Amino acid sequence: MILRTRGVSLAYGSESVLRDVSVGVDRGEVLAVIGPSGVGKTTLLGLLSLAVAPDRGTVELDGTDAWAAGESERLALRRRVGMVFQEASLFDASVARNVSYGLRVRRSWPERVRDGLRSLVGSPDAEAVDSAVREALDVVGLGDSLDRHAGSLSGGEARRVSFARALAYDPDVFLLDEPTSDLDPRNTAVVEDAVRRASQRGIGVVVASHDMHQAERVADRVAVMLDDGIAEVGPTERVFADPDDERTRKFVSGELVY
Amino acid sequence: MSKHRATRRRFVAALGAATAGGLAGCSAVTGASGGGDRPGVVGETLTLTTTTSTYDTGLLAELNAHFEERYGVTVEAVAQGTGAALETARNGDADVVMVHARSLEDEFTRQGYGVNRRDLMFNDFVVVGPASDPAGIDGMASATEAFAAIAEAGAPFVSRGDDSGTHTKELAVWDGAGVDPGGGWYQETGQGMGEVLNIADEQGAYALSDRGTFLSQRSEIDLTVRVQGPIEGGPDLLANPYGIIAVNPAVHGNVNYDLAMAYIGYVTSPDGQERIANYESDGEQLFFPRALSEDPNFRQYVPAGWSANGTR
Amino acid sequence: MSPGPVAALGALLLQFPFDPVYLRSIVRVSLYVSCVAVALSTAVSVPFALLVAFTDFPGKRLLTSVVNTGMGFPSVVVGLVVLFAVSNQGPLGPLDLVFTTEAMIVSQFVLAAPPITAISLAAVSAVDDGVRDAARALGGTRLDVALVTVTEARYGIATAVLAGFGRAISEVGSVLIVGGNIVGSDGVSRTRTLTTAIQLEARQGRYETALLLGAVLVCLVLLVNAAVVRFGGGRVRR
Repeated sequence: MILRTRGVSLAYGSESVLRDVSVGVDRGEVLAVIGPSGVGKTTLLGLLSLAVAPDRGTVELDGTDAWAAGESERLALRRRVGMVFQEASLFDASVARNVSYGLRVRRSWPERVRDGLRSLVGSPDAEAVDSAVREALDVVGLGDSLDRHAGSLSGGEARRVSFARALAYDPDVFLLDEPTSDLDPRNTAVVEDAVRRASQRGIGVVVASHDMHQAERVADRVAVMLDDGIAEVGPTERVFADPDDERTRKFVSGELVY
Repeated sequence: MSKHRATRRRFVAALGAATAGGLAGCSAVTGASGGGDRPGVVGETLTLTTTTSTYDTGLLAELNAHFEERYGVTVEAVAQGTGAALETARNGDADVVMVHARSLEDEFTRQGYGVNRRDLMFNDFVVVGPASDPAGIDGMASATEAFAAIAEAGAPFVSRGDDSGTHTKELAVWDGAGVDPGGGWYQETGQGMGEVLNIADEQGAYALSDRGTFLSQRSEIDLTVRVQGPIEGGPDLLANPYGIIAVNPAVHGNVNYDLAMAYIGYVTSPDGQERIANYESDGEQLFFPRALSEDPNFRQYVPAGWSANGTR
Repeated sequence: MSPGPVAALGALLLQFPFDPVYLRSIVRVSLYVSCVAVALSTAVSVPFALLVAFTDFPGKRLLTSVVNTGMGFPSVVVGLVVLFAVSNQGPLGPLDLVFTTEAMIVSQFVLAAPPITAISLAAVSAVDDGVRDAARALGGTRLDVALVTVTEARYGIATAVLAGFGRAISEVGSVLIVGGNIVGSDGVSRTRTLTTAIQLEARQGRYETALLLGAVLVCLVLLVNAAVVRFGGGRVRR
C-alpha cells in the first residue's frame, strides 16, 4: 500500500468523527470511499492528505508514519499527495498559473524569485510552456485554455482545472472529494476518464463519493463508511453484489436511509 | 514722513540702542572659536527655534544665509511661536531661541534653561481695526484706554489665543486696561497672525498685530492702524522687543553651545545689526536693532527684578 | 474687489509664485517621507493582518478594536507622542532625531499603520478558506499560503496602501511638530512638506498661494493613485 491509515480516530470536541479506521490504497489502484453525507468521508481524506493529525492511530505514506516524522519530512511526504476539494477554489489568476502552482512551490526560493521577476518584466507565459502543465490540462481536456483567466471558466471547467492543478506535479496518491457533484454528464465523463488515466500512470487514487454508480464505474475497490467507521472494504463488484456486512447490504440496496 | 522719523529716533534713543554709535564703538564679533580663517564649527548644524513673526517676514532667511556662509554651518530655523519655541528649548531640542515675550524669557532663564540672554532688536505692535471704527479708538495715545473702549463698546476683537508673544502682549494690555476679556465680542482663534488678520478683516473686528505682519498683509485687507506703536509715536506699552538666548549646556549636554554663542555673537554684532536694520519688506523697515549700546544695559542679561544680593 | 477665487487662482498659476527648486524640494520631501513611511507600514501591517486574521489568541478582538481606533488617532497627538519619544528628553533622545525627516517617517509610520492594517485585515479575512486550503494541499508551506492570501487580497491591500499613503501625505499636524517645517537658507526644503508649506502660507493669510500648493498636492496624490491602480490592476483583469 502506498498510503494507508492504521486504526485512526478523530473527534471534534466530544463528537467522534472517525473511530478506529484502517484503510489504504495501492499504486495504480482506484479506491472509492462511499457512504451517506456527513459520515466523515471528507475528514478521512483530510487525514489521508496529511493536513490533519489523527487523535490516535497512524497515517503512513510509503511505509513512513507521517506524524512521527519531522516537520520538513512531513512536508516532503505531503507533497507526494494530490488533493482535490469539492469546491474548485481556483486562484485569481490564469489557468496556466493555477496549474503550475504545485510546481512553483516545489522550486527553490532563488528560482522562484527569479521567475517572479521575469514574469514581471514580461513573458507572462514563460511558465505555461512547462510540459507538465500542458499535459495535466490535456488530461482534463483543457489543453487550449492555458491563458484564460480562472474567473472566466464555467463551473465544470473550473473543477477540471482544479483536478489538473493537483495532477501537474505528478503525485503518488490522488485524493478526490466528491469530484463530480453538481457536474453535468459531459464534465463527469471527462473527470472519470481522468481518474482512470491517473491510475493507469501508477497513481493511487482515492475517490470519496456518495454516488454508488460512480464508484461502480471507476473503482477497483470500495470502502463503505457508515456512522464513524468503515463497515466493509472489498473489490467493487463483490461489495455491491454480495456484501458481508448487513448494514452495507441495506445501504447499497437503498434500504438504509440517513 | 519726516515727523515719523523724528519720533522713531527718539524711541530708538530711549531704548538705548543707538545703532550708529554702537557701530563705531564695538568691534565686530567674528569667528568665535579657533584662531584660523574658519572656526571649529564647520559642518555643524544649529537648531534655532523662533517665532512666526521673525520667520514669516523673511528676516531670518536673510540673516542665516550670511551666518552659514561665514561659518560653513547649517542653521535650521523652526518657527513655532514664543511659548512652543521656549518649550522646545526646555526639552533640549534647540540650541538657541529668538523670541519676543520678556516675561516668558525671564521665566526660562530663571528656571536655568537659558544663558547669555541678549537684547536683539525690536519692532512694535499696533492695534488695527475696521474703517468704521465702532469703538471710536482712532488715534488714541494709550493702548489700555483703546482696549477699555473696545470692551466698553462690545466691539468685536480677534485674539491669537495661542500663547505667542503677541498673545502675551495682548493679555498684558487687557490687564492694564482692567478688563477681563470675554463674552460674545471676544474671539480666541488659536491661529497665526496672518490668519487672525484675515479673520478680523472679514468680521470688521479689532486685533493686536505685530507691525511687520500687518505691513506685509495690509494691501490685501481693509483694516487700518487705529493705535500706533512706539515706532510711530505710540505708547511704549506696545513695544515688541526680541531677545536671543542660548540653551544652557549644563542642563542639556547635547546642545551645540559654541555654535549658539557664535550665532548670538553674529546677530548682535555690528554686521548682524546692520543687516537687521537694512532688512525691508515693501520698502518698509520691519525690525530695529537693539543689541549695540555705548551705555551699559545690564538688564538684558538678567530677569526683571533680579538683584545680585541673592534674591531671585 | 477680486473677481472670484477661481480667477484669482488662474492668475496665480500664470505667474507661479514659487521658485521651482523650492517647490521640487518640498515635493521631494513629501514623497520621500510618505513613501518610506508607507512602505515600512505595509511591511509591518500586512504580515500583522495575516497573523491576526488566521490565528486565534486571547485578546484578539481587543487588538482589532485598538487597530480600528488607531485609524482615528488625531495626527497632532501622534506628533506629540513621537516628539516626546525622539526629544532629547525622551527614550530615543540620543539618536538626535528631532526636526529630521527620520522623525517625520516615524510619525507617519504610526499614522499610516492603523488604516493599512485595518483595511488589509478586512481584505485578507475575505479570502476564501478554500483557496488557502488548496494552496496548502498543493504542497504550499505556511509562507506559500500567506503569499497566496496576499495575492488574492491584492486589490484590498492596494486600497489599504493608498489609504495609508493618503493619510501620510495629506497630514500636517505631526510632521509640523516633529519635523519643524525647516527650509535651508539655500531655499531647499529639509523637513518642509507640501502640507506644512500650505500651513505656512495659510498662517500668513496667503490663502491663494496655499490653495495653489494644495492643487499640487492633489495632483501628486492623483498621480500616485493612478500609478498604483495601473501597476496593481494592469496584469490581471476579471
